[in-house]
Amino acid sequence: MVVLNKIHERELHKEGKLLILSVFPVAFLLFGLFLCGSVETLVQGMKTILLSPTILITDFLEIGGLGASFVNAAIIGFINLYLLKRYKLRINGLLIAAYMTVLGFAFFGKNVFNILPIYAGGYLYCRYQKISMKNIILIIMFGTALAPIVSEIAFGHPQHLNFGLPLGIGLGVLIGFIIVPLSSHMLKFHDGYNLYNIGFTAGIIGTVFTSVLRSFKMEIQPENILYLDKSSHIASLLAFLFIYLIIVGLALNKDVLNHYGRIFKYKGRTITDFTSLVGYGMTFFNMGIMGLVSLCYVLFVGGVINGPVLAGVFTVVGFAAFGKQPKNCYPIVIGVIGTSLLLGYDLSSTSLIISVLFSTTLAPIAGSYGPLAGLVAGALHIAIVMNIGIVHGGINLYNNGFSGGLVAGFLVPIIDAFRKDD
Amino acid sequence: MRHEIKKISRIVDELTTLFLKEDTNEVDFSIKRLEDYTVIKIRDHCTHFEDDYIDQLREVFNTQRQCEVEEYYWQLCGEVENDDELTLIGCMIDKAIVEKRDGDLYLELIRYHL
Repeated sequence: MVVLNKIHERELHKEGKLLILSVFPVAFLLFGLFLCGSVETLVQGMKTILLSPTILITDFLEIGGLGASFVNAAIIGFINLYLLKRYKLRINGLLIAAYMTVLGFAFFGKNVFNILPIYAGGYLYCRYQKISMKNIILIIMFGTALAPIVSEIAFGHPQHLNFGLPLGIGLGVLIGFIIVPLSSHMLKFHDGYNLYNIGFTAGIIGTVFTSVLRSFKMEIQPENILYLDKSSHIASLLAFLFIYLIIVGLALNKDVLNHYGRIFKYKGRTITDFTSLVGYGMTFFNMGIMGLVSLCYVLFVGGVINGPVLAGVFTVVGFAAFGKQPKNCYPIVIGVIGTSLLLGYDLSSTSLIISVLFSTTLAPIAGSYGPLAGLVAGALHIAIVMNIGIVHGGINLYNNGFSGGLVAGFLVPIIDAFRKDD
Repeated sequence: MRHEIKKISRIVDELTTLFLKEDTNEVDFSIKRLEDYTVIKIRDHCTHFEDDYIDQLREVFNTQRQCEVEEYYWQLCGEVENDDELTLIGCMIDKAIVEKRDGDLYLELIRYHL
């Protein structure tokens, strides 16, 4: 049954919403320029990021430096903001989730070079089908999960650059063309219980592409390049941005604190667009809270805030506008942490931290079927995500979305088999 | 828009599940395809829905059409039995008349052909 709330909040025009979101790339740009120190450092860092194969895991903070990485994220943020404005889209929860996800993954895997062919493929799909680009821009934003395939083919073998560069770009265009119908179709596998559906779709595409490449004896070697210095500057910037979201939420809706409990009623299964259901004030407030909780978790376990962790945190923040709230996330997270402790994993390692953060893709299972189902889903997720990367060779940045889709598609019918209601 | 007929069928599927599962044992549907738009008329006999809920349905179905959400999620419409996709229907239609008359609930959903 639909649960709408009477929303009493300040009127916010589309430009106002875009302005609120633009604070992120602006802050990244200023922060990046401050850290770069000189133009030469920035140019060298950007060049390294753009020419890197970017295969999972290539942390831009490590290869390009902090300054260039934040500038790269800022540029990608501005490009996507421009597209949202250009196509006059209603700034709903899903678009906020897509924007934040792309922003986060600009710290490991996405750069201006490797995302543009995918956008071009989406554009060609629209021309071919005679539909507006506006209809698919959302899917394409998420679809840049496969951007590493462009960089890997183009720059993975420098001796074959003349051949690799056009092939990489061509593959990117092809992915942009096919990801729209595939992403819609894949939803049926998990019925919307995996929030990162494009991650699941990209996992399937990645598996097919990698298998084809392997059959031609072209092996994609996974990377593990991570930034390992603990930077209090980045933690401070994140804290500032999440507190900013909380303040924006409070400024838009003065009753947010009293009514925050209302958001816990929602199961989180797609489509749970908080901007429509509880208003923008509550949505921004929830994003800020989820961001602070994620940041505190990373600092509590002694983790490093590097590219993958930034991607994880910003994805959680983004999907806090589209289904995630503390009540439907905690059982999954406890399931992942509990299983990791049993298996003797190091909770402070980057791979574990991102698994915990991204595991919240399964929040709808806990929201719909209760905490016990959430715990089981979390336990299954950690088992699968630690072993699934090899299948797609690291070209799917949303590895946890792939795993989440498998867990949801496997678990939901089993849970349903134990239900006795109609 | 592609898959136009299938999308209309999915909307009807979703609402059939909603009314039969949550409200009543008798529902009439009428679908009319015109040149520029499609009209789906529904009569839910002897509704038990409260006025507050009917107001919520009216509000959800009259939110702005969101083609990007439709393009991505339309295949979920009518797919799941134990949850509803009314927000999604709101994203797939342009306007709706929702009213209760003589104990029956009447809906008229209009979807323009883009």
